Amino acid sequence: MLKINKYSLIKNAAVLGVASLSLSLIATSSSFSDGHIYGENNPVTVKGYKGSKTNSTAYTGQMARQLQHNSLKKIVSKGNPSDPTSNTLNKMLNYFENKDKTKSMAILDPKSSSKFPVKQKMVGEISTGSNLAGKADGRVQLSWPNNMTGADVIRFMIKKASKISGGVDMRNGMNYPQLISKYTMGAVLYHQACDNYLDEKMTASNKPNDKPYKKGAYYTGKEHSWDEAFGYWGAAAHTMTLSAQQSYDVAKKKDLKAADFNKDGVVDLYKEMTYGHAYYASAFDRGGKTDYLKTVTKAFIDGRKIITNADGEKLSSSDLTKIQDLAQVICSNWAQVIAEAVHKYAGSVYKDLGAVEKAISSGSGMDKAMSKYLKHWGELKGFAMALQSGVENKSDTFNRLNRMMGFGPLMPNLSQVVGIDSSGNYLKDQGSSIGYYKLHMIKIQKLMVKEYALKAKSNDVTGGMASLIEKLGPKKSAEND
Amino acid sequence: MDIEVLNFIPDNFINPQKRIFLGYLLSGFFIAFLWLYCFRKYTLINSLKLIFDKKVYFSKSSFVDYSLYVFNSLIMIIFSPILLSQLVIATFIFEFMYAQNIIEPISINYLSIFLPIIFTICFFIVDDFSKFLVHMLMHKIKFLWCFHKIHHSAEVLTPMTVFRTHPIEGIIFVLRNAISQGAVIGIFFFISSGELSLVTVLGANFFSFMFHLLGSNLRHSHISISYGKLVEKILISPAQHQIHHSVEKKHHDKNFGVTFAIWDYFFNTLVYSQSNQKIKYGLSDEENFSRNNIFKIYLFPIIECFTLILNSIFKSFKCIYGYLLNLKPHKLNKNNKVLQNENS
Repeated sequence: MLKINKYSLIKNAAVLGVASLSLSLIATSSSFSDGHIYGENNPVTVKGYKGSKTNSTAYTGQMARQLQHNSLKKIVSKGNPSDPTSNTLNKMLNYFENKDKTKSMAILDPKSSSKFPVKQKMVGEISTGSNLAGKADGRVQLSWPNNMTGADVIRFMIKKASKISGGVDMRNGMNYPQLISKYTMGAVLYHQACDNYLDEKMTASNKPNDKPYKKGAYYTGKEHSWDEAFGYWGAAAHTMTLSAQQSYDVAKKKDLKAADFNKDGVVDLYKEMTYGHAYYASAFDRGGKTDYLKTVTKAFIDGRKIITNADGEKLSSSDLTKIQDLAQVICSNWAQVIAEAVHKYAGSVYKDLGAVEKAISSGSGMDKAMSKYLKHWGELKGFAMALQSGVENKSDTFNRLNRMMGFGPLMPNLSQVVGIDSSGNYLKDQGSSIGYYKLHMIKIQKLMVKEYALKAKSNDVTGGMASLIEKLGPKKSAEND
Repeated sequence: MDIEVLNFIPDNFINPQKRIFLGYLLSGFFIAFLWLYCFRKYTLINSLKLIFDKKVYFSKSSFVDYSLYVFNSLIMIIFSPILLSQLVIATFIFEFMYAQNIIEPISINYLSIFLPIIFTICFFIVDDFSKFLVHMLMHKIKFLWCFHKIHHSAEVLTPMTVFRTHPIEGIIFVLRNAISQGAVIGIFFFISSGELSLVTVLGANFFSFMFHLLGSNLRHSHISISYGKLVEKILISPAQHQIHHSVEKKHHDKNFGVTFAIWDYFFNTLVYSQSNQKIKYGLSDEENFSRNNIFKIYLFPIIECFTLILNSIFKSFKCIYGYLLNLKPHKLNKNNKVLQNENS
């Protein structure tokens, strides 16, 4: 007779239970991450490749530029021209123009901390061959005086910023950390992705999929072009597993758990960090009215799958159409994110001008009001310039946008920058009234909503009116009195 | 039909922004009870019997009110999206205020803490005056009276009589609200630099809430509450509005006001209520109007209005033709002298 040991039975059952639970958890987590992580399961498809690489995904140059951009903003806001040994201008230009061939360009943001330890300390640990200046928009910028190219504008701003402590010119109203940062996001990151990699490089003849991107490369022309555009977007590779709030907190260095996808205890700045445009998309999506972050990131993942599935062959015309459609989804949503930012900061400027008016009438609190106003105006102008760095030629919209905000903010004495002389000095003239300038901010918001079908509409000035009317109750009923 | 479309039926009774919100109806009944029991010395039973008189609520006239409530709501669901809204007017005024350089928002910023109160009062006053004005025009202009007389065709008054309205009149009221409310909102939004709030109770405008809580629904009821001559110079009592619905000729075109009686006072249309007044509601016999047929209620005003317009056009042509006949060129003789009429 078989003797059953009840303890052994319980033990076996427990082991079996734990094992099956673990298996199901593994299965769940793998099925969850499968296809959700950018760059995962992308084998090398280049025909005749003999190297050791097994994954064709690469966007190191772009992430290096994200870090150069972050660091540039940091150093511009910390500039101290009064210290002759600080060599402020060269330090700033270093992050804009130079490549970190010697792995000596320190990452200034994000810096490692106990709450948010990061894997890399130098830009060169990610890429040694990237700079910002070489990729800046080469077209003449109508949003800035004197017909400068994108790179010229940033260089001009850097030179101006190097002469002012903290990077804010209170006389002319220029907040350079904001202007430089936001415009660089457009002139380099958005411009390269949408006016280059997802535009001409997604045509049949340019960077074909049956050839390596360059001689000896382990990725094809189309694979790498697509990856590079993704890098400029600035989303963490595992973004699809995060909520908008988590993605936002990762960029703010507040959520190590969400950032550290591979659970090695540190944040890999190459693929676990949120930067630039993806950060702004997360910020708007937190409100729940939009889904820019995941729409764009998913389109990148889907597009990469189509390219990978071509297995190193030329893309068929239907695949090419699908890819171009996805590129369209990416760039239109991307433009919306920038337009949302323009809308948001136009609303901030409107409110700040109210505070400036109060400070004028009360005779106190002007410094605080101006500091806030100039910061938000810098963000507004920077994003408005960024919006004009894409592939879309909305000249009428852009002209109106530039005309309404001007080259500089309207100052309390109603002066405004109208140009730059041959020596690089700002030229100023009498601007409109503060009331009129505020009206321009409302019109900018309306222009953005109309042209880009915005939904988040942060800081909507007239939106308050709509919610007030909502409070009054629905009035469209047939009722006598 | 989508069930959500029918949400307006319960919503009207549970939303404090609506006039027939259950709370307002109950407060109205309570005020009516206090009036009858305490002031008119009715017994408890008789007071309740009078308030909930089934002859009133189950009358043919009341059933027309109930039916119009449902049908009109459905019609307005269709037309609402294309009608001018307060937001359009408010935005227009707001931008216009900014575009001019005379008034700056800063000039009255010191009032900012009182602004919600001032705004709420102004909003209520302007809204009330616009209601008075449009109401008067509905009576005085023949084309508009064609539609407004539907409301006056009610032979008993209940709180639901407010819905006894022709949809064209409903559209006129929507436009009235858009213009008057939109203008006030636009101006105050400019003044406050966009930081404006309304004083509310349960999400409803404070003054509207008070107006409804204090028995606005009794205006359309058979309980004749008067405020006394002194108060009735300022506020319209339920009894005064019931006079407005009277068949009697001497009461026609009187008491147009909704909350304030001062408008009627200024326009010389104010009539005070009488104690124990007995009023027959409805249209005079001169008005050839089918009161209890929904189809005719919707169609006849349109036909009547159309006929009036055609008559006016015809009369205008006749006038112009007569004028032209008098202007026809006189015959001239060889010496360019006007030939005199042979008979003259």
